[in-house]
Amino acid sequence: MNRFIRYIQRYKGWFGGAAAICLLVGLYTGLLVSPPDYYQGEVVRIMYVHVPLAHTSLLAYSILFGGSIWFLWKRDPLVDNMCQAASSITALFTGLALVTGSIWAKPTWNTWWTWDPRLVSFAVLLLILAGYMMLRRLVDDPDKQGIYAAVLAIVGGVDLPIIKFSVEWWRTLHQPMSISTRGISISDDLLLPLTFMSLGCWLLFAYMLMVRTQMLYLIELLQAKKGRLLSQTHFSQSAQ
Amino acid sequence: MTGFYARWGMVGALGLLLVFLTYQDYQTRLSTIPLSGIMSGNTPKEPIRIQGMVKSGTLAGKVEQGEATFEFTEGTVTIPVEYHGPPPENLRELKVMVLKGRWDAEAYVFKAQDTALVNNYGYVAAAYGVSCLTIVLMLFAMSQRVMVLFKEIKESKLYEPEVDSLAKKQ
Repeated sequence: MNRFIRYIQRYKGWFGGAAAICLLVGLYTGLLVSPPDYYQGEVVRIMYVHVPLAHTSLLAYSILFGGSIWFLWKRDPLVDNMCQAASSITALFTGLALVTGSIWAKPTWNTWWTWDPRLVSFAVLLLILAGYMMLRRLVDDPDKQGIYAAVLAIVGGVDLPIIKFSVEWWRTLHQPMSISTRGISISDDLLLPLTFMSLGCWLLFAYMLMVRTQMLYLIELLQAKKGRLLSQTHFSQSAQ
Repeated sequence: MTGFYARWGMVGALGLLLVFLTYQDYQTRLSTIPLSGIMSGNTPKEPIRIQGMVKSGTLAGKVEQGEATFEFTEGTVTIPVEYHGPPPENLRELKVMVLKGRWDAEAYVFKAQDTALVNNYGYVAAAYGVSCLTIVLMLFAMSQRVMVLFKEIKESKLYEPEVDSLAKKQ
């Protein structure tokens, strides 16, 4: 078995445990300890789940982007597995960020959806990921599948800076960045659960990436073993 | 395999505990008493929360300084309110809001000390519910698939020692 997969098997539990602790602390402080916002009231608690999901989906796509460049350079099938695993998890986080954002928008903006640059660029990211996963299913040749998917992921990376800076480049309904190089414009009471939830989501993404990469590797390993078994049976039958 | 389901059972139990704690907190801290309820005579001594609408044409006093009187209505019930507290940002006529304070049965007036926005806890529950359930279901499905794959590899006819030793650790 591949050495990297053995490392995953050995250390993934640590990531899962750390993610669970951070998320439990974040959920407890976010739902029960932190005060309601003077303007939004209790609805502000949606921030503790929406913002970490959105951050994590951007981080996850960055990993997919970097992994795709690495795959095109080294042609390592395990990196291709990792990219394939990252794509579906990133799609999950992106989809959830859009859904929770929509739920938050209804009581604050009085609409489920608006054609805002931040929202549209984020929805485009989900479409890119959907295209990436469809491409993987449509191309049968595993070598070509990896190459085409990597190229699509790299081209789709253009969307990352658009999402990040959309609130500064265009007039938008979405609030600007609360944490940037210019400082932190968020109260400490709100920052604590947000930090735990963000850390928890990053660790959860790492854990999910490890489990899914391992899963894809094991599927290939099982297929290879079955293939070997079939050819062995065929060989022995032919010899008889 | 039993250990796998035991671990996931613990995750589920922890999740349910957190939901229960949050619901309890909501009931004690954020729930409101209907206006008809406070006139029944069983009103608690400690501060309570009531929800209703500020009746049009009744708001008087120095609202900017946190001193106001008005009538508060919900359905067919209307009660007089004396507000003494921090300057309320949302207090205006025809506004649906929450008041925190005590009911003075002898003076027949609700003495409010603070205001709050009407809770929209349904949105919060929906956002957390959708996110947590989706992630946990995906994680459970992936982990279960990995466990089944290890088992299949172990049971397949070609023997592979490294896979076998890892499967034992599972």
